[in-house]
Amino acid sequence: MSLLLVIILGLCATGIVLAIVLEQERIPAALGWLGAIASIVLLWFSGASLFGGAVFRATLWTIPSLATLTLSLDRLSALFLFVTGLVLLPGSIFASGNLSQYLGKYSLRSFSVWYFALFATLVLIPLSADAVSLLMLWELMSILIYLLVNFEHEDREHTRSGYLMLAIGEAGTLLIALALIILAGNGSLEFASMKAAGDALGEQARWAVFLLAFFGFGVKAGLIPVNFWLPQAYTSAPWPFVPVLAGATLNLGLYGIVRVNGDLLPVAIAGPGLVALTIGSVTALLGILYATTQSDLKTLLAHSSIENAGIITAALGAGFIFIASNHPAIAAIAFAAAFYHMLNHSIYKALLFVATGAVDSNAGTRNIDRLGGLIKVMPVTGAFFLVGALSIAALPPFNGFVSEWLTLQAMLQSAELASTGIKIVFAICGAILALTAGLAVTCFVKAFAMSFLGMARYESAAKASRARASSTAPMGFLAVLCVFLGVAPTYVIPLLDGAVAPIAHQARAADALVPPFFSGSIHHGELPSAFVADFHKLGAQVGQSVMPGRGLVVLHRGAAANPVVFAMSTSYMAVVLLLMLLGAYVVFRLIVARDRGVERRTVWDGGIRRLLPEMTYTGTGFSNPVRVIFEAIFQPTTVEDTRETVGKHFRAAIRRTRGENHVLDRLVLDPISDAALWMANGFARMHHGFLNAYVFYGLGALLAALLVARFT
Amino acid sequence: MAPELLQVLEDAKTRWTGKVKPGVDGGGAAAFHLECEAPELPDVCNWLFAERGFSFGGLIIEQRTRWELRYVFYGPDSGWAHVVTFLPATEGRVPSVSRLIHAADWHEREAEDLFGLVFEGHPRLGDFVLHNDVWQEGIEPMRKSFDGSRAVASREPDLTWKPRRIVEEAGAFAMPVGPVYSAATAPVHFQLETVGEDVIRAQPRLFWAYRGLEKIAEGRKADDVLLIAERISGTSAFAHSLALCQAVESLCQIEVPRRASWLRMFLAELERLRHHVAAIAGICESTALSVAAAQAAILEEELLRISGALTGHRYLFGMNVFGGLAADLEDNACRHAAAQVAQVSGRLATLQAMLSTSSSFLDRLENVGNVSASNARDFGLVGPIARASGVSRDLRRAQPYCGYERVEFQVPSESEGDGYARLRVFFQEAAQSARIIVEAAERIPAGRVRTPEAVLRPGAALGWVEAPGGAALHWIRLGDGGVVERYRIVTPSFANWHGFRLAAEDFAFQDFPIILATFALSVHENDR
Amino acid sequence: MSQWVIKGLRSGIKSTRYPRTSETAPGISPGLPVATPMSAELAQAMAARCPTAALEPARTGIDVNLRRCVHCFRCARGGDGAIGWERERDFECAGVTSHGDNFGRVFTRSIHILVVDTGDCGACLNEVKQLNNPYYNMHRLGFFFTPTPRHADVLLVVGALTEHMRLPLRKAYDAMPTPKRVVAVGACALSGGIFGPSFMCAGGVGDFLAVDVEVPGNPPAPLAILHGLLVVAGRKPPAPLYRRIEEVDGQG
Repeated sequence: MSLLLVIILGLCATGIVLAIVLEQERIPAALGWLGAIASIVLLWFSGASLFGGAVFRATLWTIPSLATLTLSLDRLSALFLFVTGLVLLPGSIFASGNLSQYLGKYSLRSFSVWYFALFATLVLIPLSADAVSLLMLWELMSILIYLLVNFEHEDREHTRSGYLMLAIGEAGTLLIALALIILAGNGSLEFASMKAAGDALGEQARWAVFLLAFFGFGVKAGLIPVNFWLPQAYTSAPWPFVPVLAGATLNLGLYGIVRVNGDLLPVAIAGPGLVALTIGSVTALLGILYATTQSDLKTLLAHSSIENAGIITAALGAGFIFIASNHPAIAAIAFAAAFYHMLNHSIYKALLFVATGAVDSNAGTRNIDRLGGLIKVMPVTGAFFLVGALSIAALPPFNGFVSEWLTLQAMLQSAELASTGIKIVFAICGAILALTAGLAVTCFVKAFAMSFLGMARYESAAKASRARASSTAPMGFLAVLCVFLGVAPTYVIPLLDGAVAPIAHQARAADALVPPFFSGSIHHGELPSAFVADFHKLGAQVGQSVMPGRGLVVLHRGAAANPVVFAMSTSYMAVVLLLMLLGAYVVFRLIVARDRGVERRTVWDGGIRRLLPEMTYTGTGFSNPVRVIFEAIFQPTTVEDTRETVGKHFRAAIRRTRGENHVLDRLVLDPISDAALWMANGFARMHHGFLNAYVFYGLGALLAALLVARFT
Repeated sequence: MAPELLQVLEDAKTRWTGKVKPGVDGGGAAAFHLECEAPELPDVCNWLFAERGFSFGGLIIEQRTRWELRYVFYGPDSGWAHVVTFLPATEGRVPSVSRLIHAADWHEREAEDLFGLVFEGHPRLGDFVLHNDVWQEGIEPMRKSFDGSRAVASREPDLTWKPRRIVEEAGAFAMPVGPVYSAATAPVHFQLETVGEDVIRAQPRLFWAYRGLEKIAEGRKADDVLLIAERISGTSAFAHSLALCQAVESLCQIEVPRRASWLRMFLAELERLRHHVAAIAGICESTALSVAAAQAAILEEELLRISGALTGHRYLFGMNVFGGLAADLEDNACRHAAAQVAQVSGRLATLQAMLSTSSSFLDRLENVGNVSASNARDFGLVGPIARASGVSRDLRRAQPYCGYERVEFQVPSESEGDGYARLRVFFQEAAQSARIIVEAAERIPAGRVRTPEAVLRPGAALGWVEAPGGAALHWIRLGDGGVVERYRIVTPSFANWHGFRLAAEDFAFQDFPIILATFALSVHENDR
Repeated sequence: MSQWVIKGLRSGIKSTRYPRTSETAPGISPGLPVATPMSAELAQAMAARCPTAALEPARTGIDVNLRRCVHCFRCARGGDGAIGWERERDFECAGVTSHGDNFGRVFTRSIHILVVDTGDCGACLNEVKQLNNPYYNMHRLGFFFTPTPRHADVLLVVGALTEHMRLPLRKAYDAMPTPKRVVAVGACALSGGIFGPSFMCAGGVGDFLAVDVEVPGNPPAPLAILHGLLVVAGRKPPAPLYRRIEEVDGQG
């Protein structure tokens, strides 16, 4: 195992060296090859642990009176590494294809160096097993991300976004550091000893650790109120880097939250879970609201990432609450949902970003109001974007559906809890998540339909060229994964089990979700026969002769006190769907269309001479109802309306502009910055230049110090 | 003539000494005319409009040895003023008055399109009556040199023509509606510029149903032109044919027997009642209050059947002739019809009471589609639409004709100018019409119903009527042998379509069909 | 809101029984002229009275070309030998054109209709709209209006076809899926009516579209239009649009 790790890091180092040595034209290819190979080795490395149970542990060197730098791979880390590998593989290929556009403008060398350095960091962070290495690597990652986001540094906007990200990232790192220090207490800073010391912490310290770690890691994860950097940073990041940014780095924030609260300091009371649940739900809602009303595809996807991070966090929060309430079986479901959603989000978000990158490169714009009709000129990209959109909108039989369904089912299991207050919170948050899911469908219908369907709104959209292979191949890979993860959840959930079990303190958590209906599978005999008979009547054993594994139905049976069953099978759904589509096609082709040809005519437009693109709905128009309904959140700040007339009644032009700022800016940032400025002004008033006053200040400080010393 | 009008005439004489030739119209009509030169035209018209309270009624253009442009104004309370200017036959340029009197806007655009006259200073000349993507500029069909009986063989239309966009906002688009839209509607195209929820600008494109009636009337005998007048708008057939008859009767000094006069009033009010009931049915239909719409539709059908049983035609075609009515109606039949009308009116009142307590219905109408009084005046709106916004002119009161001065009736007027105000005006006017019908049925005198063969002589005259949609003006010029030389039709829908956008803009999409229904506009009446 | 339910229920049933039985209420139809026997000179004089040449003198009387009648009633009034005119019962007057056809067995009980107004006076359109009122209630016969040609089986055309409406009419017709039929309603659509062919009007839609069923009248009564729809649905036999005096008399 250590060999594999060495190979990965070695490939990264080779990448850095080659980036410095090679001439600029050859760097993209090198990046692509090395990145892909390193990703494959990473997948092998993490897969060995996730599927095979291999363990890995290495101590590096000891820093006296601080900690011994340790690397350790357990199944939780393996899961995150696996996801990272799944994203970095297509991401590297896409990056290599997309990078050459910067030749001559920016330094490809720098990009490549930072890219491989970040690769190494992304690999090492989940492996680090002590606070010092974690913090050092975290800092390194923050800086590298900043450098990569600010790659197109000539644009002031990008520098501003990058700087904002860096600043808030630093604040986050500070919070994480504080959390880990409090957690360590008097002991050493290795995770192993932190785990042991955790029991001794008092309630206040536990809350402090939770909140600090939650919001500290939440910066990277994209949770409110510290996620205001995310949309701008994602929009400013260069295309080669964006899939990695969205698919890999966001997960690290979630990794931190799970590591601290699930592993190092397991939650004992419901409070932290409630905080996570609420913040997650509200994050999701705000994320999707702003996504729906965006007309820039990149920013739309960024807000959508916020939404997904919120859903994952909400599921994690639900899991924490269930653990604290002594329902480990349901907690396992919640964690399985969270991890499944994290996996799904990385895949389909990377897919969508790659597709959008192809659109931006070829159609020249990523503004939805300037696109349209792309499916005619970029059919492959359109098809893959559609798969991504269907997945993220949580439509069966794609992967987003499985994880959203699991999340909502986990929410519903709150009926088993005792406390009414907690149940009410669950109900409200469940409703918010359901609303989010609905808005997500709206958002991605808009994103897909307005960009790919209909008429091209500008020349550049009508004449877009097809995407390169270096974009199509990664899209294809990710799309296949989306389909697989959607159609075969019964194979994925047992794989996640390894990561879920230790956190939920529930062994064989997958059994709770994937009962062994197939008569050939190992634990088939443990199921009650009446239960098996009932479900065999519904066809739960269909496919047992051809498919390996336990079964194709995801099903959970409540405890004896509350024997509610929830079940779903996207596998069967996919088969039935395919058969129906095939059947409809066959019937149409062979029977209906046999004597009749199919004629194509122009669209019915009411009888006008020609339908112009300016007469078709824009993305802004499509999402306007959402903006109007949630006016209280959006609160447009300025609506300028100038009407030019000739004479009193002949109108020449009506010009309107709308200015909006984010609700977080209004509610969080502006008050904080106002307060800070107020304090600063106050202090500024004290600096008036009179020497006498400064002497007086010194005297006052001395007196205060004496008084403090006297009374303590 | 009223002393106020004479005073205006005197003031005009003193104000533009030497530049204006005043005159009083003969024939007893309360009208004076001011002849002026083209450069003075905007000043004179604006003086009448802005300072003396006159309202613009219509623009009548005749191509004779020279161009005659006649701007017809309504007096503040009653009476008319005609401002007439002459242009040499070869020179077709005249200053526009539209910047000052916006009500003249569409009249000038129509004149430019059909006659080729240039109204200098008008910012929107071009595609109007003749669509530029079907005809090229310069066709000018109303000129005497154009043969209106045959299709134009070669044309070079501008196939790339597209409507003008006014709204500049990120994400704005222009939603097209029509000309074929909804179920069983007249052809009209709307370009609704919007960003999604509200209609920011509503621009109707009309004249899809332009049949060139003014042109094909030229050269036909006046009797046949009477048939055309009925078919300008079939739902206001009697009113328009009455206006033409009155114009010809006033020109040729034909006396209409009293019985005919009363019967004409009876039938005109019957038509008005049916038109307003149809408008009410349309409003209920647009708000999807199906039972109310069905109730109103029942009443409309009953009124159509009453009209059909009484006169033989459900839309009262073929009743008016020059000098009276084409056929007599029995007194019993009239009283029977009046009794039925009274019954209909009672049910209409019940409907109104029920509607005024249906809050969800009122929500769709109150404060929706507002037209302010000043805008109504600026745009020259007429009829029930204008009366709902406080412009309360009704030609039956202001310029009585056909014996209306002999009956008691009220002219309702509201001030809010929203959809509900228009609905109330429709109800109240319908009630007043029913009242007139019932009263008239008792008072129709015996006698002839038609003056024996009237002699038509050459000349020109203006006829007017308060059609169900508002004031309509018909200008007729006869030549020898009773042949029509010029027939000018100014319809109420022409003025009210012009002002429709005032109501539709800045309201939500869902309100658009309702606002359209509350205006009860006739496309055919506008298009001619 | 219950006031409306009660109101509706108390209004009872107003729908006519047609086509099961004939409708005889007063005022339902203006009727149409019938071929009348008369002397040749009288026939000439009568024909001259008609502004649209709808009356044609024949050997033993006068023939009527219903497609041109504009209901001016000049032939029905006047002291000398007026032409016969059947009022209330004469509304079943729709005919099938020589090249046209009804739907046969394909659609009989559910037909969607797209109405296109190509420039009429508004009376025909208003009569078409009356088909939805409780007195006629065409829904009970399976006829529905649709706003889009994509769902339409029948294209119901009114109006004299102005130059401006040529393209919309053509587009509407082309956008309809087969099988489709065209019903032309009103004198304007059949022959141009009083407007006739001119620089703006084509004088009817017959040369522009393949018309299947023609409904004469100016405007045709709602029941006449209903008869036309029943003819196109194959549920009623068509009537001749040209009334010949020979056929009336039975002479060859």
